[in-house]
Amino acid sequence: MNNDIPVQDIGPQGEVMAHAVDACVHCGFCLPACPTYAVLGDEMDSPRGRIVLMKEVLEGALPLADAAPHLDRCLGCQACVTACPSGVPYGELITSFRGWSEPQRERSPLARAGRAAILKILPAPRVFSLAARAGQYAKPLAPLLPAALRAPLDLLPEHVPAMQPNPEVTPARGKRRGRVAFLAGCAQQALTPNFNAATLRVLARNGIEVVIPEGQGCCGAAALHTGAREEALRLVRQNLAAFNPDDYDAILSNAAGCGAGLKEYPVVLHGLPDEAQARAFAAKVQDISEFLAGLLREGELEPCLPTARPLTIAYHDACHLAHAQGVRAAPRELLRAIPGVTVLEVPEGDLCCGSAGTYNLEQPELANELGVRKARNILSTTPDLIASGNIGCHTQIQSHVRRQGSRVPVLHTVEVLDLAYRGEL
Amino acid sequence: MTPRKTALSPGSPAPKPRSNGKPDNALAAELTRLLGPQKVLSNLSERLNYRYDAIQFGATPLAVVLPESTADVVTAVRAARAAGVPVVGRGAASGLSGGAAPALPGLVISFTRMTRLDIFPERREARAQAGVVTLAVTDKARPFGLIYPPDPASFRTSTIGGNLGENAGGPLCFKYGVSGDYVRGLEFVDAEGEVHELGRDAYDLAGLLIGSEGTLGLITEATLRLTPPPRFTRTLMASFAEVGACAEAVSAAIAAGAVPGKLEFMDQACTNAVEDYLHLGLPREAGAVLLVDTDGDDLDTVEEERALVEAACLAAGGTVRRAASDAESAALWQARRSVSPALGRIRPQRMNEDIVVPRSVLPDVVREIRALGDASGFHVVQFGHIGDGNLHPNILFDPRRESPEAVHDLAHRIALVAIRHGGVLSGEHGIGTMKRPFMREAVDPVTLSALWDVKRALDPAGALNPGKVLPEEE
Repeated sequence: MNNDIPVQDIGPQGEVMAHAVDACVHCGFCLPACPTYAVLGDEMDSPRGRIVLMKEVLEGALPLADAAPHLDRCLGCQACVTACPSGVPYGELITSFRGWSEPQRERSPLARAGRAAILKILPAPRVFSLAARAGQYAKPLAPLLPAALRAPLDLLPEHVPAMQPNPEVTPARGKRRGRVAFLAGCAQQALTPNFNAATLRVLARNGIEVVIPEGQGCCGAAALHTGAREEALRLVRQNLAAFNPDDYDAILSNAAGCGAGLKEYPVVLHGLPDEAQARAFAAKVQDISEFLAGLLREGELEPCLPTARPLTIAYHDACHLAHAQGVRAAPRELLRAIPGVTVLEVPEGDLCCGSAGTYNLEQPELANELGVRKARNILSTTPDLIASGNIGCHTQIQSHVRRQGSRVPVLHTVEVLDLAYRGEL
Repeated sequence: MTPRKTALSPGSPAPKPRSNGKPDNALAAELTRLLGPQKVLSNLSERLNYRYDAIQFGATPLAVVLPESTADVVTAVRAARAAGVPVVGRGAASGLSGGAAPALPGLVISFTRMTRLDIFPERREARAQAGVVTLAVTDKARPFGLIYPPDPASFRTSTIGGNLGENAGGPLCFKYGVSGDYVRGLEFVDAEGEVHELGRDAYDLAGLLIGSEGTLGLITEATLRLTPPPRFTRTLMASFAEVGACAEAVSAAIAAGAVPGKLEFMDQACTNAVEDYLHLGLPREAGAVLLVDTDGDDLDTVEEERALVEAACLAAGGTVRRAASDAESAALWQARRSVSPALGRIRPQRMNEDIVVPRSVLPDVVREIRALGDASGFHVVQFGHIGDGNLHPNILFDPRRESPEAVHDLAHRIALVAIRHGGVLSGEHGIGTMKRPFMREAVDPVTLSALWDVKRALDPAGALNPGKVLPEEE
């Protein structure tokens, strides 16, 4: 689309944004893929509409405050990227735009403090764990609280488990096949420590030595996607220092959002001196399911024990796996590799569950609408078990599935494999 | 892997957007008073998003109405009439001729919330409000063993109202016809704000409204004819060194008696743009690729027809591949559907033609257009419903580096190729603003004056989608 974005005034992120706007031919193929368009049905809350709004703001034709409500409603799920024949890098556009515009936003001191608190708590597993436990006790009070406070409480699981320590090195068992680095993730350490425990067990069982480098921090995605660019840059650089890609066969994440964040580092550092380093790093990043499916395809994956009885698993595509990273086949292949398992496809499977980082806290109404719809779609397949590869989706789906009266277990793909290896499936 | 898509009709019971703050102008204020803030968009950020379709940007509307009923449309049209401003109807704005992009500031009526859809299997009919997404009709009819055949490339997005406004076609149009062929009746709101219910008897006024691009009235509901889907479908892909050979194969296959369900082609640039998107393993080196479906209820006939097409392709020097599975067929057709937007990968803007020529002259026409393109220095690509002689030559350009006048001049010369060979300017995209300047050469003055008489009879004040279809009277 034609534009007069003053790239020279904005800098390297301006180039990223202008390139994305150029690529959009406003054909509308993105409309049916967009969750907010599905719910709201208006042009401003569609990817095509948001691209126009961002263009107008960047050109100075529209005040940021007018465009902001519509841009804030974007989940960043990137379903539009999958749907776009023209190849518009929408994810890069919205992320860069949020980073560029956040310093100009007018927010109340309270809103500012709230956002700062989220960005402090989320990446600090110990603090998060404490907050989650405190929240557990506050849960019975939820109906009395204002919506902004109720939303996070609603999402808390019934039991917040104890934190588990991260071993710096987990040795390979049996024949050694490789060595990987692992990003331990933030919120999931506090909410679902078994994700990491299962990941380490499954990798070790397959002869992979796992290193959790000590200097690592949060991937930076939460900061980046909420526009806290300086904070994101700090975290990105911290991780680039902690992980030396030459030392590992792969750098793994088991959280779709974090994995997508790590793969975004070259865009974050576009035009900066450490861009090349970010490229080398991102080239090594894989989701746990991609890595294990690689072993499977080479006939190197340790076989799983058969399930006790035939088992149906509804697999939920996390947006940051399917759309942002393009990983769809790998988790399905892994689940199908377990003898006795049938993988079910979920209706409207490409539609976001409404979790999306801090979205639940900032847009609780839309998040809830999408969560209800996702849980209804999943349960319509009457699965024995639900699997997905992302902590945000996990929490959202579990919470909505329970609210619809179902007790079906919700597990991470790698937890399913772990159980299969132990003959407990 | 082929990305899957979700076809959704917006309109869940979630919170509806409403304009924040005070309406920006008198018309918006009046409409807000009459219809309430949830049906009227009046902020600049909202109005800016209702000035484009899939090909161009027009004027920013003064207000946008999102009606939920025909009564809302009547209210909106009357308010616009009282204010003396033009009215432009809009579906999903995926049109390719500038039809939904307002030429002047006025009122845009966006039908995306009018999504009521009823299926009457015993009558093989659907009754759809204007905002129903096209694919939704088949989705809802299929459990009754019925489908709605018109299948424009944008059918996951585009709406019935928009399809009828442009008389949209799609790959199935070769055998099954275009949108207008499936209309049994229409409800529309005229320029005065009166509601009319039309059948196809007496004067076929419904036929006049179909393809009129919102210049004669606003279609609010339609009764659509449904058909059972063919029991068997077989797909083949043929590749050719050169586009003319592809056209020769098509002419030969049809002359030999084949009536394929779909007959589509795309040239090398199109194939490569789509391959960059879908990674299907399409033949990047081929000058042209032909996609064909033969279908019917008798498998032997379907296979015979495929064999006829295959023989014609081989005789024209083509290489033929049969789709081995339904999944492979689906992937090939998704490839064809994605051509138009995928061209954005080559240049940010395009001039989009929609000519139709007699099938007998197809090889000459595609070769002449190829030669014009090669001589022009522009990227000129071709694809389209070649079975109908409906070609979409597109001129791709970068407005920052290339002159819009030169683009327009080339488009004009391409249009003249079609007219010289006995063709017409539009098969399915409408005339809009894109082909309006060529209308004088395509339509004789007496006929053009008759069209103006019709326009004046139904829209005396010239308020309905001004600046579209008909060139100014001399």
